[in-house]
Amino acid sequence: MSELLLEASDLTRHYEVSRGLFKPKATVKALNGVSFTLGARKTLAVVGESGCGKSTLARQLTLIEAPTRGALKIRGTNAATADAATLKALRRDVQMVFQNPFASLNPRKTIATTLAEPLLINTGMTAAERRERVAALAAKVGLRPEHLRRYPHMFSGGQRQRIAIARAMILNPGIVVADEPVSALDVSIQAQILNLFMDLQDEFGTGYVFISHNLSVVEHVADEVMVMYLGAAVEVGEKRRLFAAPLHPYTRALMSATPALRKADRRERIVIHGELPSPLNPPGGCSFHKRCPLAQPRCAAEVPQLRAVEGRQVACHMV
Amino acid sequence: MPALLNIRNLRVQFGNFPAVDGVDLTLEAGELLGIVGESGSGKSVTMLALMGLIDAPGKVTADAVEFQGRDLLKLSARERRRLIGRDVAMVFQDALTSLNPSYTVGAQIAEVLKAHLGLRGSAARKRVVELLEQVEIPDAANRANAYPHQLSGGMNQRVMIAMAIACGPRLLIADEPTTALDVTIQAQIMALLLKLQREQGMGLIMITHDLAVVAEMAQRVAVMYAGQVVETGAVPGLFDAPRHPYTNALLAAIPEHNKGAKRLSALPGIVPGALDRPAGCLLSPRCPRVQERCRAERPALEDGVRCFFPVEEAAHV
Amino acid sequence: MSAVIEKPMEPPGPLREFWLGFAANRGALIALIVFAVIALASLFAPLIAPHDPIEQYRDFMLTPPAWDQDGSTRFLLGTDELGRDMLSRLLHGGRVSLGIGLAAVMMSLLPGVMLGLCASFFQRLLSPAIMRVMDIVLALPALLLAICVITILGPGLVNTVIAIAIGALPGYVRLTRAAALAEIGRDYVTASRVAGAGVARLMFVTVLPNCMAPLIVNATLSFSSAILETAGLGFLGLGVQAPTPEWGTMLSAARDYITRAPWVVTLPGLTILVTVLAINLMGDGLRDALDPKLKKVS
Repeated sequence: MSELLLEASDLTRHYEVSRGLFKPKATVKALNGVSFTLGARKTLAVVGESGCGKSTLARQLTLIEAPTRGALKIRGTNAATADAATLKALRRDVQMVFQNPFASLNPRKTIATTLAEPLLINTGMTAAERRERVAALAAKVGLRPEHLRRYPHMFSGGQRQRIAIARAMILNPGIVVADEPVSALDVSIQAQILNLFMDLQDEFGTGYVFISHNLSVVEHVADEVMVMYLGAAVEVGEKRRLFAAPLHPYTRALMSATPALRKADRRERIVIHGELPSPLNPPGGCSFHKRCPLAQPRCAAEVPQLRAVEGRQVACHMV
Repeated sequence: MPALLNIRNLRVQFGNFPAVDGVDLTLEAGELLGIVGESGSGKSVTMLALMGLIDAPGKVTADAVEFQGRDLLKLSARERRRLIGRDVAMVFQDALTSLNPSYTVGAQIAEVLKAHLGLRGSAARKRVVELLEQVEIPDAANRANAYPHQLSGGMNQRVMIAMAIACGPRLLIADEPTTALDVTIQAQIMALLLKLQREQGMGLIMITHDLAVVAEMAQRVAVMYAGQVVETGAVPGLFDAPRHPYTNALLAAIPEHNKGAKRLSALPGIVPGALDRPAGCLLSPRCPRVQERCRAERPALEDGVRCFFPVEEAAHV
Repeated sequence: MSAVIEKPMEPPGPLREFWLGFAANRGALIALIVFAVIALASLFAPLIAPHDPIEQYRDFMLTPPAWDQDGSTRFLLGTDELGRDMLSRLLHGGRVSLGIGLAAVMMSLLPGVMLGLCASFFQRLLSPAIMRVMDIVLALPALLLAICVITILGPGLVNTVIAIAIGALPGYVRLTRAAALAEIGRDYVTASRVAGAGVARLMFVTVLPNCMAPLIVNATLSFSSAILETAGLGFLGLGVQAPTPEWGTMLSAARDYITRAPWVVTLPGLTILVTVLAINLMGDGLRDALDPKLKKVS
């Protein structure tokens, strides 16, 4: 029953950027060997700050770009070796919800048209059948029938996210990649949308890859958490264990930096200085060593690999 | 000693729409006040009105807007501008769009120094580097010649703060200063703001939708909803025992207070917009404790809470 | 499942919103009415023109307009040097001038949009080639270019349209490419890709409708410049040939009669002026009505 929906092994994506006519091309190492699995009805949360490669990962998972190296298996089928027809079928199975509710809907199309588009492209449903399915999904996410005739600019951020979620679910995909879906929303709307996500997962058994930088949201939705830094996973593990005792210095710094409402929840602030290094020129060895309070000479020389420690995977020499 | 800031019954109208609908706020010198609210609460517009940044067709009226004892409404526009420019400063949310992309950051800070303090030439340059060091920008002398797009979000925010404190203001208003930043950078910026506030003895008003940030930093907090202040109180008292149903619902909705639960406690509906403002209490269409009186009458702010039937027991406890 | 509490009023659709914005501009509204009158009059010229535009009334050459003491109500706006009725020639001339303008816009808009979309979607392969060719065309002054084309193809109605269209092409290509590039990076286009849309659908269904605003404004303005160019070419004797009535050729033929019979020159000149002005004001109104909408819909 617990078939693996997603299996990523050593996903890597490098971009070539030109730096002018006379300089050699630079390589942006956006994603460096990320591996994970996702089962049905499970949520994998990807945590990281800007520049960690989570958007690149989202593009890989939704098959918009091919990896430079590594493989992605969707329900057992390898996306890299798939032909065009298989790829089209695979694409139906992975859908996405975007971060900015104000940019992810086509301003010139009614909601009904936007919701029907995936059906039009991927299925042979008649117009009447499409209308029925659109109406059903719209009702499920809390929209009313008159909303279908309207245009995106008439809706608030929370409502647009509902529409975006309806669009993502309309093909009944096995996997939904949610890229910071509630970051742009207010607290009370955030609660409504997160509840909607959970209800839909219960009903349809969808697996979620939930990208977020908000640790309290992650703690609520995730089953498993993967912390990323500069294109690589630094700690991967089951949510409760990871939050109870984070091991990697970066994870610990992230958690300590997150403001908490209750004094009891506040952690000792671990100050990390400096800023994220440029992905054009990552430091040698461990990509975090220049800012790490535990750094030793070994960290600058050797890239740490993910290994099992205390029931999770950590990429750190000092743990 | 008069309060640093005293606002009574501030109203800002855009046509028929009251973006700010009768706001009272006070701030003592050296105090840190957090203003919390969601979009549509009017928190930013309140501060923009204070700074005189509301243009027509917006109309600003108030019973009193007193800064350091002087009534700002009685001053001429020019005097108000001079007062505001020197003694009140504002830091905005997205530093990259708040800074002019065509000028170096050093030039922009120097412009502030020239306009308000009359500093020019090498004296100005020296002060620019000093300010950049004060906001903890490494390699300040060189960074002064950088353009905003060459600096990261955190750096740009520090530049904005440097511009704000350049003239030694008595009051600093920070409008969602860290919302667009990563959490580790956010922590650095918050620490910086606290440090500067202590060093310079400024009053600090922090506008944010993040309750946790307010809980960690502020001494007092005002909660706004649909253009009104619905509750004020001291931190952490207000968060431990909220009295207004909106504050209560807000606290109940955050994931931190729903640990282990499958669903988050969520307040249904959305903030009233221009077309559907209720005649009675603005929260009445959504309030779980609503009574007949709430739909008919608007409650006044009494004893720090604007409600006929305040909450006795917090939902999240 | 939490329900969504919504605003009670039904908001206006985009067409109605656009009309409200456009109609708020008095100048644009008046210009629209004036242009509609001219266009309709030209369209129904065969029905409402009192005379045949090419028929010469030898006995009535250079008759002044009806309000002059020597004029007659038979020729309301007088006659030209060959005794042809001015009013009828202006009405029929409108069909030619406006018709050429419209045809030229269509002939440059459609290929221009296609090329612009291709240049933006196939950035690496096609963009440099397309844009360099457009740069070369842009480097030549429009009228000179038109003269060159006509010299090669020969004068006449169809060739005039082709000449003007070639000159207007780069504008559309650049506009479309710029607008499309700005949209391609946005999330809703990525969302359509994730939904499985192919390049053709992305180009025409997803992106193009969002690029329409600057294109519509440009089309209106190039309509008026097409009319001016046609008149210019006609004036130079390179465009429409006699005896087909066209405002520019009418101007040219009347050069020698400026002092003797000013109406032969003034009337076509005024007609061109009023038409072009009306179209430009309409274009301004369109831009004002469409641009803020772009900002609102963000």
